Amino acid sequence: MAVRVQFENNNEVGVFSKLTNSYCLVAIGGSENFYSVFEAELADTIPVVHVSIAGCRIIGRMSVANKNGLLVPSSTTDTELQHIRNSLPDRVKVQRVEERLSALGNVIACNDYVALVHPDLDKDTEEILADTLDVEVFRQTVAGNVLVGSYTTLSNRGGMVHPKTTIQDQDELSSLLQVPLVAGTVNRGSDVVAAGLVVNDWRAFCGMDTTSTEISVIESVFKLNDAQPTAITSTMRASLIDSMS
Amino acid sequence: MSLYNFKKIAVVPTAKDFIDIILSKTQRKTPTVIHKNYKITRIRAFYIRKVKYTQQNFHDRLSRIIQEFPKLDDVHPFYADLMNVLYDKDHYKLGLGQLNTARHLIDNVAKDYVRLLKFGDSLYRCKQLKRAALGRMATIMKRQAANLTYLEQVRQHLARLPSIDPYTRTIIICGFPNVGKSSFINKITRADVEVQPYAFTTKSLYVGHTDYKYLRWQVIDTPGILDHPLEERNVIEMQAVTALAHLRAAVLYFIDPSEQCGHSIEEQISLFESIKPLFNNKPLIVVLNKMDVVTPEDLAEQKRLLIQELEANCAKGNIVNADGNSELRTVPVMRTSTMTGAGVQEVKIEACERLLGHRVTEKCRTKKVDGILNRLHVAMPAPRDGKTRPPVIPESVLKKREKMIEKENRKRKLEREIELEEGDDYVLDLQKNYSEIAEEERHDPIPEFWEGHNIADYIDPEIFDKLDELEREEELRVAGGMYATPKIELDETMREIRELAVQIRNKKAVLKDESRLVKQSTKPVMPRTSRARDRDRSAAGLRHQMEQLGVDMSDTKEANFTKSRSRSRSLSVPAKRARVESRSVSRPARDTQGVKDVAMQKRAKHMAHVAISKKTKKMGLKGEADRFIGTKMPKHLFAGKRGVGKTDRR
Repeated sequence: MAVRVQFENNNEVGVFSKLTNSYCLVAIGGSENFYSVFEAELADTIPVVHVSIAGCRIIGRMSVANKNGLLVPSSTTDTELQHIRNSLPDRVKVQRVEERLSALGNVIACNDYVALVHPDLDKDTEEILADTLDVEVFRQTVAGNVLVGSYTTLSNRGGMVHPKTTIQDQDELSSLLQVPLVAGTVNRGSDVVAAGLVVNDWRAFCGMDTTSTEISVIESVFKLNDAQPTAITSTMRASLIDSMS
Repeated sequence: MSLYNFKKIAVVPTAKDFIDIILSKTQRKTPTVIHKNYKITRIRAFYIRKVKYTQQNFHDRLSRIIQEFPKLDDVHPFYADLMNVLYDKDHYKLGLGQLNTARHLIDNVAKDYVRLLKFGDSLYRCKQLKRAALGRMATIMKRQAANLTYLEQVRQHLARLPSIDPYTRTIIICGFPNVGKSSFINKITRADVEVQPYAFTTKSLYVGHTDYKYLRWQVIDTPGILDHPLEERNVIEMQAVTALAHLRAAVLYFIDPSEQCGHSIEEQISLFESIKPLFNNKPLIVVLNKMDVVTPEDLAEQKRLLIQELEANCAKGNIVNADGNSELRTVPVMRTSTMTGAGVQEVKIEACERLLGHRVTEKCRTKKVDGILNRLHVAMPAPRDGKTRPPVIPESVLKKREKMIEKENRKRKLEREIELEEGDDYVLDLQKNYSEIAEEERHDPIPEFWEGHNIADYIDPEIFDKLDELEREEELRVAGGMYATPKIELDETMREIRELAVQIRNKKAVLKDESRLVKQSTKPVMPRTSRARDRDRSAAGLRHQMEQLGVDMSDTKEANFTKSRSRSRSLSVPAKRARVESRSVSRPARDTQGVKDVAMQKRAKHMAHVAISKKTKKMGLKGEADRFIGTKMPKHLFAGKRGVGKTDRR
C-alpha cells in the first residue's frame, strides 16, 4: 500500500525520511503532521524516530540505511549519533563514515542484500558499507547519472529507476540487484524517484503530487498489493500509454 | 484544461461608459491649468498632449479588446464551430473588425488635429481644435455602441462555457430529447445536470468527470437532437452536432424503446442512421435505456422487429467504420436503466475500454510511443547465484494483512494528536521512545561538554565493567596499605611560619577587596598600548655603576657627562632664573600665577592631574595634548540647513 504525504508543503518526502524494514527515520519538522503519517502506518511494528543529521532536516539524502545498519556522514554531531543509537534497537549497527561525498543517500542505493554506489566513492567507505549494512556492493550509474542514490529506489521485492534508463540498463541492473525493476516517475513526472518515494517491503510513502497512474506502477512493482510487476506490461499498459504520450 | 479558458477576458464597457472612462482619464492625468504668461508654443503643446493622450487611451483599450477575444482561426475547430453556432461567426468577426476600423479612425483624427494644432495661433483656437478632436473621437465610439454591447454579451457567454479539453479522453452522450442522457451523466459523474420530464431540459453542453483505470475521463452531456436536415437544426441541437463532429471521443447513442420520450422507435433509429457520418472513426455504443419500464422482449411485434434489426445491423458492423480497424467494426447494443442503475457501470466500462483501445492503437501508429517504451518494460532479474534474498516483513504486518483489521482499532495515540491536544505547550520529546534505556533514565540530561571535555569522546559501552575492575584493584591496594599516609611531625618554627602565612594571605585578600570597594571610578579603563618610559639613565646612576665596576670616578665632578640638562620645567636652569629675576617679577611662571602658597599650588596641580588622567584613561589618549575629534565634519554643521542663530554648536 502506498500513502501520499507531504513535508511542510514539500513533495520530496524521500529527502526528509528514511525507511527500512526494521526502523524508520523522520526529520524533525515544525509540526508533527509528517511524522504522524509514518507513525500511524508503522509504529506498531518498527520504531519511527525523529532524527537530525548535522543539524539538517535532509536526513534521507545524508544517510544510507537498511535493516542491518545505518551509515551517517562525518558531519553528524556526537549528540545526534548518541540519540540515534539510543533510539534504534541494538542489532542495528550505526556507523559514522569519513567520506568526501557526504550526501550518502544520493550516492548509495541499497536494499537489505545489494547496494549500488557512485563510481567515485572511497574504497574505505565501500568496505564499511559492505560490513555495516551487510550487502554486496556494485559501482554503477543509472541512465548516465552517477548519483545512483537519487535516481533509484529499492526494496527487497522490487525497484524503480530513472525514467530515461534504457531497457538494456534495466535488465543489467535488475540482474545485479536480483529484483524486478521498472523505469518510472513520481510526483507528476519527477525523475528523482528516491526523493519522491520511500519504500520498504510492505509500505511506501510518496509525494502528494503523485498521480494515480504512478501510484499503481509503484504498488505493482514493489508488490505492495496483490498485483505483480508484470501487470505493468499487461493490464496497465493501455492507461500508461494514454497518460504518458 | 487551461488551454481554452475564456474566463479572463476583460469586461467590454458600453459606448457611453467607454467615452466617459477615457475622457475622465484625460482630465485626470493631463495638466489642466494654463497661466497668462504661457507662450503660445507651450499652449499648443498643452493641447496637443491632451489630444494625443486621449487617442492613445482609446487605442490601447480597443487593442486590448481585439486581442483578448479568441480568434476563430486560432482556436480548436470544436470551439470555432461552437462559437459559430452560438454567436454567428460573421457577426463576431464583423464586430471585432469594426472595432479595429474605429481604432484606425481615431488614430487618424488625432493625427489630423495634432497637425492643425501646430498652427493654432491663440489659446482660444487651440482649445477649439482640441474640443473638436475629442468630440470626433467620441462620435466614432458612439457609432460602435451596438457592437460593444454585442461583444459584452459574447464575453459573458464565453466565460460560462464549460471548459472542455478537446484532446483528452472524452465520452459524448447523444440521442433524442428526453431519452435519459442527463440521468446517465448524473449516474456516472458528479456533474449534477438538471433532469426534468420534458424535452430540451438540457439546452447546452455539460461536462462531468469520471475515473476509470487510474485515468480521468471527460463526459459530455449534449442537448437532444431531432431528426431533420442539418439546415433546419436550431442552436441547441447544433451544439450537440458540433461536439460530435469535432471531438475524438467515444459516443453513446441513447434510444428509449418505451417511447416515453414522445418519439417512436422508428424515428430514433432513423436519426441514428442519418447522423451516422458523425460517428465516423469513433468508438460507438448504442444504449437502450429505460429498461425498468419495458424490455424489447415485451414490446409489440413490429417494434420488437425494429430493435432486432438494429441489433443485427450493429453486430454486422458500423458501415462507416468498416476500415479494417477491427475493434471499431462492431457496435454493441447495451441495455441500461438509469432509474434503477442497472447496466450503467457496464456501459461506462465498455465505452472507456473501447475508447482507450482506440486511442492506444492511434498512438502506437505515431512515434510518440517509442519514447516511453522503456517505461512499459519490467526488467526481471536473471539469477546470478544460488543465494535467496527473501523480503523481510514482520510477522505482525502479515497477520494484520490477513485479518484486514488495519483501520479498525488503532490503539496508539499519534504524536500529532498529542500536539493538537497540548497546543502551544507542546514540546517534542525526543527521548520518549529510547528503546533499550530504562524508563526513569531516559530523560537524564547529558551535557554536550563537561569541563572542556566532549562527553561523546568518553562514552564507552563497557564502562561499568571497567569501573568494577578498577574498584577491585583499588580495594586490593587499600588492603595492601598503599594509601596509609605516614604522619608528618611539625616542629615549633614550622607551625609558626604556617600560621603567619595564613595571616598574610588573609590580610592580602582583605586589602584586595577593600581597594576594589574604595576605588573611585567604576567606569571601564582603556589600557594604554605603551607605558610612559621611566627616565632610567642619570649621571648619578652612571657614576654609581662605574664605581661598582671598579672605575675611579673621584675627579669627574666637572666631566662632560654631568653637563646634562634637566627636562623638568620646575627645575629651571639657575642662570636663566637669574635673568628672569633681574628683568622683572611681573610675570611669574604660569603654574604659580594666582596661587596663594605652595600648598595651594600643590593642590591645584593634583586636581589638574586627576582631571587630565581621568580624561586620558577614559578616551584612551596619550596625554593632555592628544586631541581626539570623532567626526571631522558633523553633517548638521555643514549641510547648510542651519536655522538662524544656530551656527554655534558649542
